Amino acid sequence: MTSRDVADRDTVHGSARDRRRARRHGRQRTWPAFWVFVGPFLAGLILFTFVPIVWSAVLSFFDAHNTVTPTRFVGLANYVDMLTNSDFLASLGTFSVFAVFIVPTTVAISLGLALLVHRLRFARAFFRSVFFLPAACSYVVAALIWKLSIFNGVRFGLANTVLGLFGIDQVPWLSSASPPWYWVALVTLRLWLQVGFYMVLFLAGLQRIPGELYEAAYVDGAKPGWQVFRYITLPQLRATTVAVVLLNLIAAYQAFDEFYNLMSSARGYPPFARPPLVYLYFTALGQGQDFGHGSAGAVILALLIGIVTVLQGKLFGFGRRD
Amino acid sequence: MRKPNGLSRRGVLAGAAGLVATGALAACGSNTGRGSSGGGSGPTVSQWYHQYGEAGVEQAVKRYAKAYSKANVQVQWTAGDYDTKLATALVGSGGPDVFEQSVAKVDQVRAHQLADLTDVFGSAKDDFTPAVLDAQTVDGRIYGIPQAIDMQMLFYRKSWLAKAGVSAPTTLAELTSAAKKLTNKKVKGLFLGNDGGAGVLGAVPLWSVGQSYLSDDQRKVGFTAAAAAPVFAALRTMYSSGSLLLGAPADWSDPSAFTQGLTAMQWSGLWAVPVVQKALGQDFGVIAWPKGDGSGALSVPIGAYASTVNAKSKHVDAAKAFAKWLWVDKTDYQRDFDLSYGFHIPARTSIAAKADKLSSGAGKDAVDLVQQYGKVQATPGWTSPMNTAYTDALNNIIRKGSNPESELKTAIGKIDKQLSTLYK
Amino acid sequence: MDGPHAVGYARSARGRVGAIARYTALVVAALLFLLPFYLLVRNGLGSDAEITAPDWTFFPTTLHWGNIGELFADPSVPMAHSLLNSGLVSVVQTIGQVALSSMAGYGLARIPFRYSNGVLAAIVATLMIPAAVTFVPTFVVVSSLGWVSTLRGLIVPGLFSGFTAFLFRQYFLSFPKELEEAARVDGLGHWGAYWRIVVPNSTGFIAAIGVITFLGSWNAFLWPLVIGQDSSSWTVQVALSSFMTAQTINLHELFVAAAVSILPLLLVFVFLQRYLVQGVAESGIKG
Repeated sequence: MTSRDVADRDTVHGSARDRRRARRHGRQRTWPAFWVFVGPFLAGLILFTFVPIVWSAVLSFFDAHNTVTPTRFVGLANYVDMLTNSDFLASLGTFSVFAVFIVPTTVAISLGLALLVHRLRFARAFFRSVFFLPAACSYVVAALIWKLSIFNGVRFGLANTVLGLFGIDQVPWLSSASPPWYWVALVTLRLWLQVGFYMVLFLAGLQRIPGELYEAAYVDGAKPGWQVFRYITLPQLRATTVAVVLLNLIAAYQAFDEFYNLMSSARGYPPFARPPLVYLYFTALGQGQDFGHGSAGAVILALLIGIVTVLQGKLFGFGRRD
Repeated sequence: MRKPNGLSRRGVLAGAAGLVATGALAACGSNTGRGSSGGGSGPTVSQWYHQYGEAGVEQAVKRYAKAYSKANVQVQWTAGDYDTKLATALVGSGGPDVFEQSVAKVDQVRAHQLADLTDVFGSAKDDFTPAVLDAQTVDGRIYGIPQAIDMQMLFYRKSWLAKAGVSAPTTLAELTSAAKKLTNKKVKGLFLGNDGGAGVLGAVPLWSVGQSYLSDDQRKVGFTAAAAAPVFAALRTMYSSGSLLLGAPADWSDPSAFTQGLTAMQWSGLWAVPVVQKALGQDFGVIAWPKGDGSGALSVPIGAYASTVNAKSKHVDAAKAFAKWLWVDKTDYQRDFDLSYGFHIPARTSIAAKADKLSSGAGKDAVDLVQQYGKVQATPGWTSPMNTAYTDALNNIIRKGSNPESELKTAIGKIDKQLSTLYK
Repeated sequence: MDGPHAVGYARSARGRVGAIARYTALVVAALLFLLPFYLLVRNGLGSDAEITAPDWTFFPTTLHWGNIGELFADPSVPMAHSLLNSGLVSVVQTIGQVALSSMAGYGLARIPFRYSNGVLAAIVATLMIPAAVTFVPTFVVVSSLGWVSTLRGLIVPGLFSGFTAFLFRQYFLSFPKELEEAARVDGLGHWGAYWRIVVPNSTGFIAAIGVITFLGSWNAFLWPLVIGQDSSSWTVQVALSSFMTAQTINLHELFVAAAVSILPLLLVFVFLQRYLVQGVAESGIKG
């Protein structure tokens, strides 16, 4: 995701070179070999990525309730509905709130942990493993622990037990929408699960900073600590940081698992705290069974993320995955 | 009829089939993931149930299925959000042949999702309780065979109420103050589900102020925002006052919170009576939902899951025959299903008359409540989108504290829109 | 290279205080990170009475190992079957995705072809849109194939990752050409070069991608939820999710099920962490 431009650049060079070489080797027929290698993959990609996107684009112009082969063409009506649908827009709002919480905290904590772990002399591998370990958990397992043990609303929940020590009354973490305590559960869950992952990225970035830079800085009289961090470490980690922010944003955009498992019950999902994919899931595949609006929503979401990805490239001149 | 260019379903299928056959994927092509062995010859019929909480029900329905000889019946026990899973499955090709649902909805009938079961009843038709049969009837045709009647009611801990000096509440004001008095550091006063009642109460708050979902002819909204707003405002007050139990691991339908002593009162159902009896002995009572104001009544919602046949099934006739066999002919299985596990009221009056377990104690109290105040919760005209609009409004009022009147107006607007597409 | 302390200030008194502070912070953080695992074990091997007791029980007085047996003996929880499904799905997806993507990556990197650029552009275009965003359309296609609630439906759409193919292409571009050219001189074709030279010399990279694919596949939830409508096709994640939102729940059984479900990945962590870390650093996106 972060390395799209390299592709384009390399392609131009790479295949120009290849073509020249092919000519040198005297008009070898290489296309059968090419298709043997690339064909199976490409066929699958077409069937399970391109066909769905095109089909979905088509469905989005139809009234497709309870069917995927609709007959009633409705033009842009589904798009108009979705873009004026306060629930759909609210789902984008939910994503924004989530991103505002999760992105800065993830960057700060994973960078902090990476800096702490990076300079360790003893037990470095141990701490790295401990922080990375939650990545082995699925969102479902984490949600189970969060919902039923840490943030349940009754007296035997861990959070309420701790609050009880301070004489504070039970808090209905996941039930309450005002104040929206559920964000505490949603954000801490994702932090726990993913900071170790991003810490590994930062560690890789830190390892790539040449030691001479630091030595030169000390020779120039820089004080260890904040100054060195501010003027050497941070600028050197710029590419990693940009990548972490973007990966984080894209992952938050696709948030589904923990929302679904923390917020829904046997009677469905509440009308708030619905990120885009949750909203789409219940529109298209839930009791509504509305593939027309669902597809229009999917197209809008895909376009939005496509635009962000392209802008990202323009702004950060990507390519370097550090 | 317009068709998108080159993208007819068949075209895509043909293309896909070709790709799959030639690709490296054929390896996993034959495994359908369905283990299909079991008793019975003939076609394989899949049957879905939602998850009943009472121990033994799952084994019982599997035993019935196995005893059927004319088809190989595969029972699926569905935990979690059954309604959503069912709705998804009914659109795709992998849906169940026979399934249970509590009401045959008008829009399902219009979309030709349900097979007409009118002719499987025969002379037994008059034996079914009319109210629950009506919930399966659209335009005079019957689309489901009622299995068992469920009812919901309020459980309360007698000794705790006595200690707090409160009597069993009969009005909403009494309920609110009782919940408050019964709340202390370790115990909450009332449990209406983890969403504060937004999901489970349904039409009950409306009934308590003399309103209903829809008008009698099902063509108009049956409540006004102004008349219904006060009762929801009261629920919100209760929710925000800290006297409701919220966020319990098990939701309202499971009596765990009540039996574990997390709450003094809990909204649950008849099915929970055996478990509560076992845990608390005689130290509990059951009552109807209290009146909201002078114009309302005590309310007891009833409903019956009914066996329904998927019209798109490949074996509609076999599925119908099986449904008839189990839920019309085999009265001994029906009795076992209704009374041997949790308590349910038999949907057939001839079986209900002989139900000893419902003739004493809390079981009898519940049946009395049904006879006096019982009302069917959902009707065929109340479709899923309408229910979603209504439940969303309740969630927003109770959990977010949104303005009741404007939320209800929004819901009424959405329901009106649905009604106008159904009855043009 | 190990950063600032190369200069040696860590030996000063200030450095010692700093080191103590750093280790203290790390230990506190580590305890917080391990807390959920503690809860998993405490609740999974405890009894319901202990879990729901009014006062917190730090650890079950006796470990109820029988909970594990109870879980697998419970006929209403298809635990063994869903674990089997998860295992099949993740193993086949890992092998399939690595095989298909590495071949495609090799073809794109090494076999000259007039439309190679176009093919690459098409693959790169798919990177713009994360697969999760298109789950509704993919469901439409897969359900039209009649693959709902089947293992095919679970596995096949996940075999084709544009991103993995792209990673392999990038990797093969930097693979030393001399090795392959030697092979070509020895009369090996493209396939021979790929299979005899390139693959055996890329095991580290392949393992890294494989491990991270396995992780993502085992933990996947949205697609298995959408496609696994019949409990016979549930993966372990869908089964856990269904039972935690169910009407009736059995606390200790749920927690022991969750603990069992992460065991395979804990093994991966213990034995293959090197590849996992490399995989994260290589791909930086999956998992």
